[in-house]
Amino acid sequence: MDGKVIVVTSGKGGVGKTTITASIGAALALQGKRVVVVDMDIGLRNLDVVMGLENRIVFNIVDIIKNRCKIKQAAIKDRRIDNLFLIPASQSDDKDAIKPENMVWLANKLRKEFDITLLDCPAGIEQGFRNSVVAADEALVVCTPEVSSVRDADRIIGLLYAQSISPKLIVNRIVPKMVENGDMLSHEDVVDVLSIDLIGLIEMDDRVVVSANTGMPLVLQEDSKAGKAMQRIAMRLDGHPDLPIENPMIQKGFWKKLGSKFSRKN
Amino acid sequence: MDQKEEPPVKIKGVGDSLWVSVTPSLPVDQLKQELIKPFERLQHLAINARIILDMGRDDAEIDRLIETLGIFLKEKFQVGHVSKPNAPRHSENKNRIRQQDVGNAWHHYRNDGLVIAGRVRSGQKIQAKKHLIILGDLNPGAEVTAGGDIIIMGCLQGKAAAGQPDNEGAIIVALEFKPTQIQIGGFVAAGMSESAGSRPEFACVEGNAIIVDDYTRGNPFRRLAWPEVR
Repeated sequence: MDGKVIVVTSGKGGVGKTTITASIGAALALQGKRVVVVDMDIGLRNLDVVMGLENRIVFNIVDIIKNRCKIKQAAIKDRRIDNLFLIPASQSDDKDAIKPENMVWLANKLRKEFDITLLDCPAGIEQGFRNSVVAADEALVVCTPEVSSVRDADRIIGLLYAQSISPKLIVNRIVPKMVENGDMLSHEDVVDVLSIDLIGLIEMDDRVVVSANTGMPLVLQEDSKAGKAMQRIAMRLDGHPDLPIENPMIQKGFWKKLGSKFSRKN
Repeated sequence: MDQKEEPPVKIKGVGDSLWVSVTPSLPVDQLKQELIKPFERLQHLAINARIILDMGRDDAEIDRLIETLGIFLKEKFQVGHVSKPNAPRHSENKNRIRQQDVGNAWHHYRNDGLVIAGRVRSGQKIQAKKHLIILGDLNPGAEVTAGGDIIIMGCLQGKAAAGQPDNEGAIIVALEFKPTQIQIGGFVAAGMSESAGSRPEFACVEGNAIIVDDYTRGNPFRRLAWPEVR
């Protein structure tokens, strides 16, 4: 059976697409799937650094498209996780180096060789976005609980629907304390505006920065809340679509919890 | 500036008819010549069309002229029905007009509203020639423009421009009124941060400014004596 191609996109930059692509890719590979993550941000590649593979790059996606190498030569195997591969972007070209028809061709090849292909879409809605979306079967839209991010995600969702893709939503960087105080949009507010299916909620986690700097996958860190959330998203993507979504909450004391339970019933 | 001489024959579409304005002072033959020009341009559109000949006044002489020109048009261009304009309403009894309005206002009504279901997302733009009704929400970053009213059966968070370009009588209604910006005719108002919550509100122009009011309390159409087509 052919594998599936999933694009991770957001519209706005800096909301966590690359981190989420790397982490979900790692989680899916740990679940036993053969996974390739593809950096579509040609000219501004990042995914290799986040995965700690920057020193192994020989060929990149543009080389594959231009027929200068085979997919096997460009796909770098992860240092820690078997079954996880990276196809890096070129740093010296720009987005126009690839055309949508090239991506359709590449995606068909990747479907044959891998169970799951994750495309890390660049920010924006220009050529890079079009290249990423044209070949995708499914889409994950990443959004932070900020008005600007919600607006860009909304635009992206409209564009994805226009491509007949029904995207799923990841709300990233939730700070439960701020939500409780009313200083941050809650994920309900975000879903209210975007009205698409939610696939995961990720709490703000300092370990993400450490992981990105060291190349140590988030999902391998036992005590990372974000890592756990990514693992659950990976499970929902692969075989467990009904796994309940956990709402990040402040850890309350035993008596407070008990009190809220009783008061709810009244 | 020189004032241009009015052409002796003018045609415009009114409802399901062609309204032909004719200067009756010219001789019949010249009028026929003048009629040929625009009707030749209409080509097949003239066939079976309802024609209203407006001579600007109404007397026995005009009736004869209309009959002559009617026969001419039917023979030459196969038009359907030729008549003179209905008598203007203000000559009738006021009560009867009201009766007529109440009874007939929506009988001869053709839908000139655009009804859209669903969510209008950021970056999407909807333009309606007349009224626009959205059964859904208008997200921030989305834009809607209408020649008439805008009615949103949901949450208005984007930009809404009603009465474009110059109808200042238009209104904007939303069940949840939290727009980024609204325009009515030539007036512009920035969205307000405070909102009445989930109560329906509407915006209209009053005294050279856009005002927003609770729709259930300040319904502007409550004052109308009888229902009318908008």
